[in-house]
Amino acid sequence: MDALVRISQVTKRYDNDGRPAVDGVSLEIAPGEAVAVMGPSGSGKSTLLNLIAGLDRPTSGTVTVAGERVDKLSETGLARFRRRRIGMIFQFFNLLDDLTVEDNVLLPAQLSGLRSGQARARAAELLAALRIDRYRNAYPGRLSGGERQRVAIARALVNRPELLLADEPTGALDTATGEEIGQLLRDLNASGQSLVLVTHNPDLAARYASRTVQIVDGRLADGQLAELGVRR
Amino acid sequence: MSPGPVTRAAAGGLTRRRVQTVVIGLVLLVSTGASVLALALVADSSSPFDHAFAVQHGAHVVATVDPVRATSAQLAATRRLPEVTAAAGAFAEVTVTPKMPGPGGLTMPPTTLVGRASPGGPIDDLTLQSGHWAQRLGQIVLSSDPSPGSSVSMPLGTRLIISSVPGKPTLTVVGIADSVNSSAGGWVVPGEIAKLRAPGTPAAAQMLFRFRSAGSAADVRADVAAVAKDLPPGTVTGTESYLAVRAQESSNIAPWVPFVVAFGVIGLVMSVLIVANVVSGAVVAGYQRIGILKSIGFSPGQVVAAYTSQAGAPAVVGCLGGVVLGNLLAVPILGQTANVYGVGTLHVPVWVDVAVPLGMCALVGIAALVPSLRAGRLSAAQAIAAGRAPRQGRGYAAHRLLGRLALPRPVTIGLAAPFARPARAAVTLAAILLGAAAVTFAVGLGQSLGRVAEGLSHSSAEPVQVFIPSASPGGPGLVGVHVSRVHVTGPQGGTVGPGHLPTDAQAQRAVTAALRAQPGTAHYVGVSAGQMITVAGLSQQVAMTAFHGDASWTGYAMISGHWYTGPGQVDVATGFLTDTGRTVGDTITMTFGSKQVTARIVGQVFDTHNNGLAILTGWQTLAGADHGLAVDQYDIGLRPGTSAPAYAQALGSKLGPAYLVNTNGRDQGFPIVLGLIGTLTLLLAIVAGLGVLNTVVLSTRERVHDLGVFKAIGMTPRQTIAMVVCWVAGTGLAAGVIAVPAGIVLHHYVLPVMAAAANVGLPASFLNVYGGAEVAALALAGLVIAVVGALLPAGWAARARTASALRAE
Repeated sequence: MDALVRISQVTKRYDNDGRPAVDGVSLEIAPGEAVAVMGPSGSGKSTLLNLIAGLDRPTSGTVTVAGERVDKLSETGLARFRRRRIGMIFQFFNLLDDLTVEDNVLLPAQLSGLRSGQARARAAELLAALRIDRYRNAYPGRLSGGERQRVAIARALVNRPELLLADEPTGALDTATGEEIGQLLRDLNASGQSLVLVTHNPDLAARYASRTVQIVDGRLADGQLAELGVRR
Repeated sequence: MSPGPVTRAAAGGLTRRRVQTVVIGLVLLVSTGASVLALALVADSSSPFDHAFAVQHGAHVVATVDPVRATSAQLAATRRLPEVTAAAGAFAEVTVTPKMPGPGGLTMPPTTLVGRASPGGPIDDLTLQSGHWAQRLGQIVLSSDPSPGSSVSMPLGTRLIISSVPGKPTLTVVGIADSVNSSAGGWVVPGEIAKLRAPGTPAAAQMLFRFRSAGSAADVRADVAAVAKDLPPGTVTGTESYLAVRAQESSNIAPWVPFVVAFGVIGLVMSVLIVANVVSGAVVAGYQRIGILKSIGFSPGQVVAAYTSQAGAPAVVGCLGGVVLGNLLAVPILGQTANVYGVGTLHVPVWVDVAVPLGMCALVGIAALVPSLRAGRLSAAQAIAAGRAPRQGRGYAAHRLLGRLALPRPVTIGLAAPFARPARAAVTLAAILLGAAAVTFAVGLGQSLGRVAEGLSHSSAEPVQVFIPSASPGGPGLVGVHVSRVHVTGPQGGTVGPGHLPTDAQAQRAVTAALRAQPGTAHYVGVSAGQMITVAGLSQQVAMTAFHGDASWTGYAMISGHWYTGPGQVDVATGFLTDTGRTVGDTITMTFGSKQVTARIVGQVFDTHNNGLAILTGWQTLAGADHGLAVDQYDIGLRPGTSAPAYAQALGSKLGPAYLVNTNGRDQGFPIVLGLIGTLTLLLAIVAGLGVLNTVVLSTRERVHDLGVFKAIGMTPRQTIAMVVCWVAGTGLAAGVIAVPAGIVLHHYVLPVMAAAANVGLPASFLNVYGGAEVAALALAGLVIAVVGALLPAGWAARARTASALRAE
């Protein structure tokens, strides 16, 4: 089966003299996989996620997602790519405080030009599935951390992306809530959603990902190969 | 703590927030420049003649002396009189009668020429408007303000024949200059004067004086008496006081002052508003950082000092640059204004260059101090919280409502944004409103002044005129003609030639036959123009224009009443009604020789000829009176599509060189006025646009994280630009809609004030210039200003790195 994500010898430098944030990384992720990217703070794991999402451009190397050369896309192309193929979940939720929960969830669909009725139906479906439909007219500032993360997940899923990228999705949550969110992500993966999860928590990686990739100082840890890694 | 950390904190803020620093500096640069210019306009408009008089070292008295009766030493000794502070001369002078080239060329009114080696001097410092000073014999520099009643334009290179002197020497026009005293009609090199003096004409010379005390007519009379007493009797043959010139110039200037002042005041108010908004906004945007500084140990006083310095440093630099910019802008703009005022030169007063930057710095200080003090009083946590996104709850309803509109989502999100920061939105709206109101005002003003120019020149209604030659000695002249409406187009202009001069009857037959035969003729009417008559109850003479036929098409704009329709009816200008105390419907008695003619005033027309002391009527009204009037010109209306120059050329060829056929044009000052209006409006629109730029820069900085989120979830660069532009587009549109009536109100206020200053009424058609389509277009002016001001920062926002934006707090 063709890889959903193929990263080939990708390097990212933020300045010419400094150490690269990502250094010669190669990695493949199959459709339906849940891959955890682990590493200490400053290891380059978030940078790697940003490169997959097209939020940043590699200094060298190639990034292919669902057959699309992400590193070659224009800014407009990247925005459209993210709408269609990527759902992003952030550690601090990144919801828009002056929009209601429903409006936050609808936003990617509206940016894609989806018809209003269809977009609202999809949003309602997701809010119900994530058990936050009673908050549809509330503002994010009034919700708990777990509820906000559910809203963020709903937003990430509204356009039915092929790949879900989660950057420390439980990092700002208490343990119990983190467990809930982790279980949610596992359930999504079980239903076929491809997932790349960045975390520094080995328990989270062990429980909710089928494969873990270690990154240290911008490089994959010794002994790991892009195609193999550790599978569960 | 020592001041060092304060300086470091301020410096760090300056370098870290480069865009904000540049915007503050830029806004202060342009606002200070605009304020210098605006205040200079207002100051110079308060008494432009006096400003020009001071700058050009005008003479309190221009005296004509007989150099034969007094020696050079005696004339020079007048400098040492206790009453005299400065003297210049004696400059030889002569009065000549110039003519256009070609046999029987156009004769100009008698003109006084003065011999001066250079335009500069301790008194009556002349300003060269074009060309250069006369450098050798055969060259002349003409005054830009020739003898009263004449505004004949004379391009450089025109060769004038001095017909009043044997041998008829020629002088080539090499320059046009302005004298604040209007001390001469032209200047030549000193050695030229003797050659221009006709045999038997007594020598004359010009002396210029400035006196210690010359504030009143009585003072000036006493000063002149002191000079005359110091010289041999009869030396001083004539004097002109600057007070008379000032009175005349002031009446010329007064109509233009209101609109110049209006622009100046708008510019000042807008500059103050925008500077206050920019600086206070910059400090408020730094609240989070202030909180952080406080949390690491900065005292409230140190915080205030740091942030006042951070805003003040680029502001002071911008201020100083703005003074330079303002003075640079003043060169062309005050030059245009001086042209409009007819005073030769205007300068930025020194006190403006001092007061404006001081005022701006004080404003910056206050605008920075107030929010800094507030931040200083907050706790660190409060300051950090205050520095984050706008207060919760603001703008939510707007988002909900606008989200329901069937518009692209980036647009509705953008339109709702101003509601989160209502105070900033209000200031932005005010700035755009002022700019858009200025645009509305300027458009109306330009159109009104266009109608004024047309009303004065009648160039659309009667684009061609034929002047009948008079048989007076010296060849064909323009005696009794509205010279103010003549444009002589250079040495090639004029088609008057020598030979047999027709009688009045012959001339009329010839002209009317030619007009009837000429294709393109729509109307024509014979006119007896400019004859001065006496009217009972008036000490001054009144200019009478009598039409030999239907003249209702000749383009006189009615202020009240109607155009005369039969004998016994007259139309008058506003000045006539003002000076006589009459109104439309009253009767007047005109005296022609031994006969008197009574007529009823049926209408008031827009006419400034002879300072508004003018009467227009039909020939039949004067029948039976010994009026001595003859047709001296024909006014011609053309069929649509007929080229006036081609028509004039063909008619002139048919009539022959005995007749002068001219195209009628507008006053050449009108384009200068339009240029001034356009320049001032553009400047105000730029200042308003800078206010918008600042608002959008502040907003993009505040919402950088939100921008990152939008882009992360799939907002394209184009959608980002649309959203950011919409942050101010709604405000701009609202401002524009309000600005239109505001600008119209300003127009309707200023125009009558200008007319009153000119002692002339205003036809309703000169005020009612705003059509529906125009109003609709002008309502978009605010939107245009907002969009233009927002485009640059919108582009920056679209290009910002998404990953960096997401990391911003």
